[in-house]
Amino acid sequence: MPYHHHHLEEVYCRLCLERRMLGLVGGSDFNIVLGRLQRYVLKSSATRLTNSTHNFQRAQLSSQTTLYRHNTSTHKTGPLTHPQQTFWRSSCPLSLPLITQRALLSHGSNTSTAKIKLRTRLAVTLLFGGSILSAWWYMHNEKEQEHRRQRIEQLKQVAVGQGDFSLLDHRGHRRTKKDFLGSWVLLYFGFTHCPDICPDELDKLSAVVATLDKDPSLPAVQPLFVTVDPERDDVASLEKYVKDFHPRLIGLTGTPEEVKMAGKDFRVYASPGPKDDDGDYIVDHTILIYLVSPDGLFLDYYNRMKNDVQIAESIRNHMKNYVKLPN
Amino acid sequence: MSAPTANQRKECWGARDKLWKCLDDNRDNTSCEKFQKEFEVSCPAQWVKYFNKRRDFLKYKERMEKEGFEPAEGPKQSQS
Repeated sequence: MPYHHHHLEEVYCRLCLERRMLGLVGGSDFNIVLGRLQRYVLKSSATRLTNSTHNFQRAQLSSQTTLYRHNTSTHKTGPLTHPQQTFWRSSCPLSLPLITQRALLSHGSNTSTAKIKLRTRLAVTLLFGGSILSAWWYMHNEKEQEHRRQRIEQLKQVAVGQGDFSLLDHRGHRRTKKDFLGSWVLLYFGFTHCPDICPDELDKLSAVVATLDKDPSLPAVQPLFVTVDPERDDVASLEKYVKDFHPRLIGLTGTPEEVKMAGKDFRVYASPGPKDDDGDYIVDHTILIYLVSPDGLFLDYYNRMKNDVQIAESIRNHMKNYVKLPN
Repeated sequence: MSAPTANQRKECWGARDKLWKCLDDNRDNTSCEKFQKEFEVSCPAQWVKYFNKRRDFLKYKERMEKEGFEPAEGPKQSQS
């Protein structure tokens, strides 16, 4: 029934109006709204809505304050001064047929200005965001550098591997720590009579070195195997032992004192177990692989939990971040 | 006596693995006598002792993981 239809439409549009009014912040905006409402009423009168109730509404409004024809285009603030001047009207879905030619035209030009504004806004946002991101990135990198420098200072204080060692390699040549300065060193302490752990760890060590060897951009790593069992592991035993692993692996031994010094330097725990009838025994010892930088500074260690891939990755990172110590 | 070579190590480990598999498959250890003997021949005495201890530890760990260990229960969350 026409009556109900118009009534609903009016109620709905009044709700739209209420929504707008609730969004208002200033008293002056009320006039704008009122002006708009006037316009709405006037416009709607041009349509087929000639219901008595509607006319009554119009009469009521016009009898109130004088028609406040407001040129809303001059106002640049508030939610109602959206470029699409009459969009609020079009946001009432039921009022779509009420949009006039004028409204449509203004609507059209407003979208193009809106598009341009959107583009500039996007560009500005991107520039702004981009500059913030790059500033943050720079600060982040600076912070990381600082952290690395601090870490090196800490490691120096920990003073692991700072001392010198003097040992015999598996070919009988005397080697000291100085001989290995300038190379990255991966160091493992063990003994040849080890049931399973040392062969496993040395296999892992060999795999790590082999992986890193494949990358030509990285310097060659020197693997070292130092015995914790100098009583039994002499040069000949070591020679037999190390050839089962990476070709560059060097075995190191010496007198019990020399070996003890080297072990102490790296805080290695080693304790020979009880001897059986054969005189065989197992040495309980720290199971760690130590990474030493070309400066001879202890940088990192890897336990049984780390596999060869993880260790290679870690060493690669250390190499990348390597900061040469000031001499 | 010198340390076992790589081949000797592999032999020992193989015998150990066979023994352990047999022990895992059959609950009663008496049927694994053959593997036990082979294991003791392939490996140095110290290693036999070591691997036996290792097996005990692994079994203990397994038991802990499956049943033994019960963490202390905190206050139950009330359903409100």
